Amino acid sequence: MDDVLTETVPTDDLKRFEKVYHEQLYKNDVTPKAQFEYAWCLVRSKYPADIKKGIVLLQELYKSHDEGQRDYLYYLAIGNARIKEYSKALSYVRAFLSIEPGNQQVISLESTIKKKMDKEGLVGMAMAGGVVLAVGALVGLGMAVASKKS
Amino acid sequence: MSAGPYNYSYIFKYIIIGDMGVGKSCLLHQFTEKKFMSDCPHTIGVEFGTRIIEVAGKKIKLQIWDTAGQERFRAVTRSYYRGAAGALMVYDITRRSTYNHLSSWLTDTRNLTNPNTVIFLIGNKCDLEGQRDVTYEEAKQFADENGLMFVEASAKTGQNVEEAFLETARKIYQSIQDGRLDLYAADSGVQHKPSQPGRNTLTNDQQSNKDNCAC
Ligand SMILES: Nc1nc2c(ncn2[C@@H]2O[C@H](COP(=O)(O)OP(=O)(O)OP(=O)(O)O)[C@@H](O)[C@H]2O)c(=O)[nH]1
Ligand SMILES: [Mg+2]
Repeated sequence: MDDVLTETVPTDDLKRFEKVYHEQLYKNDVTPKAQFEYAWCLVRSKYPADIKKGIVLLQELYKSHDEGQRDYLYYLAIGNARIKEYSKALSYVRAFLSIEPGNQQVISLESTIKKKMDKEGLVGMAMAGGVVLAVGALVGLGMAVASKKS
Repeated sequence: MSAGPYNYSYIFKYIIIGDMGVGKSCLLHQFTEKKFMSDCPHTIGVEFGTRIIEVAGKKIKLQIWDTAGQERFRAVTRSYYRGAAGALMVYDITRRSTYNHLSSWLTDTRNLTNPNTVIFLIGNKCDLEGQRDVTYEEAKQFADENGLMFVEASAKTGQNVEEAFLETARKIYQSIQDGRLDLYAADSGVQHKPSQPGRNTLTNDQQSNKDNCAC
């Protein structure tokens, strides 16, 4: 079932935005627009390596380009959730909500992420370990993620 | 409800498009939650919503992609048009510029979707009669000339919101019944989920495991 964490970018779209980005990179003149469009496609790839690349590009933008901050935070949360870096994903969600509390789109992203964790048994594991899942209790969650991976 | 592996028989993919601020997200929210958001921030990229409806006794899951109208998202949101069975194209009856841009939205939609995609034009914010900037008649004429379905609606009062989403589904369902819409074409925007296990195709079988745990 498709949702914002599972839908994937059509390959030719990814290629098209990649080309624009690389042309600008070659001329040493990358616009935030081209970088964002490419990163947005990358974080929707089915390959984790692409998603990680997208995250790096978004982090760069987040530091260097003030205007699109909310866009970058949102897609940083999505990218991280897609590679199962849930504690990072949720920290981006919280950073966003601290600036714009009550944003429905981001609140619904948060619940989609939590449902996904639930399905993978991560929330349950954290609970079973006696860790209260609340804001600030993410250390426990991080451990749950780590132990699931190993 | 059928006793099959799904509580719905079809999935229809919709997109909602139109200028920023015309009320796309509010229409989606009104349709899925029956609530109005009076202070809704601009959408980032795309938002997603679902609701199960019934057409001709069949349960249909609508999978709705609400696109951001702000210019900087335009290039990438186009990739969501592909494979849409329905497109809700929205303008704001109190802002003529949003109406004037419809032909460019329509061109995009026609270029990026398939000939069977049902396009439904919505003139939103019809509760603001006093600020009207586009008459019903001219929009109706535009819709007729371009073969679009059309209503004026209000995401605030809920007027005609259900109608727009449901009518689109009925029209899509009709194309399936008529055999115009090929269920198994990759870009049809429709997936069939047979509820009798005996009639499952291979692809549906494979998907059923995945979907079962989703609910
Ligand atoms: N009076 C009235 N206001 C509405 C209606 N629909 C939306 N609004 C208001 O219009 C503003 C914009 O609505 P949105 O749903 O965010 O618009 P959008 O088309 O999703 O905008 P983008 O996400 O930027 O593309 C919000 O402040 C809403 O409260 C309506 O039917 N009537
Ligand atoms: Mg919106």
